[in-house]
Amino acid sequence: MDLLWIVLWIMLACSFIYLWLIIRGPSIWDRLLGKNLIATKIIVMILIFASINDSAFLLDFAIIYTLSGFIGIIFIALFLAERKKRRNP
Amino acid sequence: MIYAMLVFWILTALLIVKERRAIRIILYFGAFSFITAICFFLLGSPDVAMAEAAISTFATIFFVICVEKYTNLQIDEAEKASDRQEDKKPLTYHLKKFLPPLGFTVFLCALFIHFLPDNTVNTFLKDQYVERFAFDVGGENAVTAIYLGYRVYDTLFEALILVITVVAVSHMSWFDKTSVADGRRSDIQRSGMAVFTIRIIAPILLLFGVYLIMNGHISPGGGFQGGVAIASFFICRYMIYNIYDISIDKIIRAEKAVFVVAALIAVAAIFLGVWARVPAAYLDLYQGTYLLIMNALIGVKVACTFIVLFYRFVAIERL
Amino acid sequence: MNVFEIIGNIFIIAGVIFTLFGVAGFFRFQNFYIRILVSSKVDAVGMLTLVVGLAFRHGISFFSGKLMLIIVVLLILNPLVSHIVARSAYLSGHEVNDPPEQS
Repeated sequence: MDLLWIVLWIMLACSFIYLWLIIRGPSIWDRLLGKNLIATKIIVMILIFASINDSAFLLDFAIIYTLSGFIGIIFIALFLAERKKRRNP
Repeated sequence: MIYAMLVFWILTALLIVKERRAIRIILYFGAFSFITAICFFLLGSPDVAMAEAAISTFATIFFVICVEKYTNLQIDEAEKASDRQEDKKPLTYHLKKFLPPLGFTVFLCALFIHFLPDNTVNTFLKDQYVERFAFDVGGENAVTAIYLGYRVYDTLFEALILVITVVAVSHMSWFDKTSVADGRRSDIQRSGMAVFTIRIIAPILLLFGVYLIMNGHISPGGGFQGGVAIASFFICRYMIYNIYDISIDKIIRAEKAVFVVAALIAVAAIFLGVWARVPAAYLDLYQGTYLLIMNALIGVKVACTFIVLFYRFVAIERL
Repeated sequence: MNVFEIIGNIFIIAGVIFTLFGVAGFFRFQNFYIRILVSSKVDAVGMLTLVVGLAFRHGISFFSGKLMLIIVVLLILNPLVSHIVARSAYLSGHEVNDPPEQS
């Protein structure tokens, strides 16, 4: 078995573990952190998959995944920072 | 690999079904979209995966805004206590909750695989598409040939549905004015580090959206994905300047005009059969121009739609 | 197997080890602030190391050039996400020594 396939399976196992963080994390911030960590694992999986196939055009997907996913998480976190103030005005 | 990923996918879908709190459901939905995108990618369709990854950020943002506005944010004590009790229960209890639907799903899959007919699959239409797309529509990406050549009316209908979405959001709102362009400051508190960093990222995002549109008929990508990437640039712009200074009326008008132009070009090119009269030596040039123009028009239209939706939700509906 | 591939494999193994440290850190600590410090920092380092290893495996080519662009984007965005999440938790009143709040 090639090294890259082993790394791919390890990354899959890590994202399973971080799914547990999303389920169990007591506060909403733990869940956002888990989303971020799962996103990074999946980006690494995409890069390894493109490296195994040796096709550069698959990397476009990784770029747009990074940009849009992380920007979504940043906006949600900025938006939720106002929660307490609006809850007790 | 793909089977493990699909199991992961079903697991997150079950999480969404089983959860009660709205804000948690949205975060599970975000993880579900991430995993959906990589499932599409592993199944061999990077175009759809790109569209899913780009759409999911907008979907989560809209859902979060709506839930924060319309649900009762004050969690009552009884619910909190029941949640705390549920958290203290052992792992087997949590697993037991998911066991019946998971078993049902596995049973359905096994049934489906068992009764799958073993004769060969009819691939006549697929072979036809793969053989003829380079001659009929042009380009190198067969997906672009299908959605701009053979199924162009389907694409136009999807664009029409986006227009209907914008009109419905504008007209069902309680806000009576149609636009806000007075340069009002937002009440979302900015972070200096985020502003500095997003200033570096935003031009990359805009350039990448233009690249996706321009290379839509050669590499994975296309009008829809590029349009959503350009609309994501406007999220960055909102996070940098924190001000509502975009006239939504003008964008809606531009969107309708672009849609009419795209429909006219598609009808002229396909329905009137322009390509039948083009000499064979110049066919590549005509086909390439058609694909580029249609991709650009669809990209601008989709970008307009998502900009309008984002600014309406953030600037008006949230208050 | 030439020199570049050996260097790349070493980098990839180091990246996997860093990532597993991040998982261990997430199980070790229960407080949110310690958890975000440990797991996201170690995780970012592991991911960057892994991508650098992949770039080494491909030598100097178009593929590595695109990987460099991805490295720059990740290097900018991934710490920013951790910073924003921690800042948002702090602003909304999540104290360091609080009991975990359900939401």
